[in-house]
Amino acid sequence: MNRLLMIAWREYLAYVRTPGFWLSLLLLPVGLSSIALAPMAIARSSPVPNVTIVDLTPQGLGHAVERTLAAPGENGKPMARVVAPPGAPFASRADATARLTPYLRGARELPGGGRLDAVAILAPTGDTVAVDFWSRDVTGRSFEGAVGDVVREALRRDRLEKQGVAPRVLNAIDSLQPQISDFSPKAERGRVALKDRLPGLAGLAMGMLLWMVVLTGAGMLLTSVMEEKSSRILEILLSSASVPEIMGGKILGVAAVTGTILAFWMTIGACVLVSRSPALAADVGNVLLAHGRWAYFGFYFAGGYLMFATLYVTIGAFCETSREAQTLLGPMMIVMSVPLLFMSQSLTAPDAPLLRALSWIPLFTPFMMAARAASNPPLWEIAATGAMIIGVTGLELWVAIPAFRSGALATGRFDLRTFFSALARRSA
Amino acid sequence: MTLGETDVARVRHRIGFLPEERGLYRRMTPVRAIAFLAGLKGVPAREARRRARSLLEAQGLSEAADKQIRSLSKGMAQKVQLLSTLAHEPDMVMLDEPFSGLDPVNQQSLEMLIRGLAARGATVIFSTHVMQHAERLCDQVVLVAGGRKVFDGPVAAARAAAPRTLMLEGVFLPSALDSLPELEAPAIEHLDGGAIRVTGALKPGAPAQEALRRAFAQGLDISRFELREPNLHDAFIVLTDGAAPAR
Repeated sequence: MNRLLMIAWREYLAYVRTPGFWLSLLLLPVGLSSIALAPMAIARSSPVPNVTIVDLTPQGLGHAVERTLAAPGENGKPMARVVAPPGAPFASRADATARLTPYLRGARELPGGGRLDAVAILAPTGDTVAVDFWSRDVTGRSFEGAVGDVVREALRRDRLEKQGVAPRVLNAIDSLQPQISDFSPKAERGRVALKDRLPGLAGLAMGMLLWMVVLTGAGMLLTSVMEEKSSRILEILLSSASVPEIMGGKILGVAAVTGTILAFWMTIGACVLVSRSPALAADVGNVLLAHGRWAYFGFYFAGGYLMFATLYVTIGAFCETSREAQTLLGPMMIVMSVPLLFMSQSLTAPDAPLLRALSWIPLFTPFMMAARAASNPPLWEIAATGAMIIGVTGLELWVAIPAFRSGALATGRFDLRTFFSALARRSA
Repeated sequence: MTLGETDVARVRHRIGFLPEERGLYRRMTPVRAIAFLAGLKGVPAREARRRARSLLEAQGLSEAADKQIRSLSKGMAQKVQLLSTLAHEPDMVMLDEPFSGLDPVNQQSLEMLIRGLAARGATVIFSTHVMQHAERLCDQVVLVAGGRKVFDGPVAAARAAAPRTLMLEGVFLPSALDSLPELEAPAIEHLDGGAIRVTGALKPGAPAQEALRRAFAQGLDISRFELREPNLHDAFIVLTDGAAPAR
């Protein structure tokens, strides 16, 4: 095994053996599963609340409200169990409020047992209806929207019927819906479908993925080099391997770590997608394979990672403490936030002049070009930005190799004089 | 430094380097750390692990071989680091202050290791502030003071730069020293019982026996006569005019 691979393998094992790696590996799938399943689990485990409707309206709007609350929801459970108001009838809103409040406070139980969780009092006021919600807790507001919609609809129909609109006509009017379709000459079958939007989504996803990889990988590289410098291990490595071997090994090792995590996440994502929506999974696969997009994404991904990784490894060689690293990382983070702000714009306007201009700034190129994949940038633009990434990375390496050696062997703080004298020696 | 090689990587393979400030991967085991660094120097993985275990065993570190380095004592970790410098059997070994931080037992052990390297034919270059180590172990020394090389040559030649010292003890008058012209700038120390101790540099080339013969000829009551050859410490002070700044 050559030295670069040995250093990469050691770097990889060093991370894989830490608990943090396994946490990173498992946290995203577990987190996403929790986000997806938590609301359902909460809804299923929550008891159906007891609600009573006090209907003081002449139209009897309470029946419609009762039907809505008692109808089974998506999880098969009704929104509420509607119970007869204890002590009915009531003379007024105030009377209902006064007599039902002890039930809400828990001072009294419902006649059949159990507690009362909420009360909706519907009473006429002027030419409309007032709905008073009373609930056991100040946060218990889950029925407001549903009850409000029912009452609003009932009032609308009531007014229109009083104006002479027949219920049959009203139903026919309500069923009228415009048929809206998106068309584009670039869409596969003329009409724009999700499949046609997938390249844009895939581009944005790749851009975001690269951003995350650069951010996490850069942090790992910076920390690794900084620790090895402060513990003088870097000096020993320099007596055993060349600077390109050390830098390359570290960059490759961290790339393998992030690659392992991404591969694990993507495998789980792909399995979920294939099992839940095979057609969508096939479309995603086709989008990535069509027009050489896998190579397009792969090039900008690898180029972008290498460009930033080289930069961070070099910065790390000049730092001995995390405070020094933070000082140098601060400006980099500001720069890194720029593509994050603009990448999402590429979904709606991938060829916007500003996005195209940002694609020509080397530090933003990999992110912006990946995000703009949906617009199928012309070949000359791909070739030119690709050459620019290669050129910038080459220049970085040319500067980074002596800078790394100089930084690794120097002691103390980042020294511009040491840095530039290393460069001058390189130029000579 | 080429060691007769044109390939830089081959030069690295023939050199072992131990920096003054030591550091190893703290979560690695000694076997893995030594094998890893030997591997970087071109030793095949299996052979590197075999040598690592063998070296650790020879240094009495077998039990620590598979423990994480962070759990070892400072002395043990230093030994591991030194072994990682030697596992690829280098032709030239550079050790920067190898004895610092070691207790006398480990210093002795390290001295034996260095002698073993030299016996194997390796060139060992090490820096030290302790002249006794250099004097015991080195054939050639380079004395550096204030960033300037003040001497470069065999240890014996360095020692020769300093004068031999003659010490006399007895009951006699200091004025009697006038009969000993071989003695330069003698320092006199009064002892119990009216005796004095005289210490002075012997003039270059002057035989010590001549001074002794003269003393007896003068009838001086000499109870102790000692000739001390100069050591490297004396040589360093002489060669730097006693003005070497502390590092």
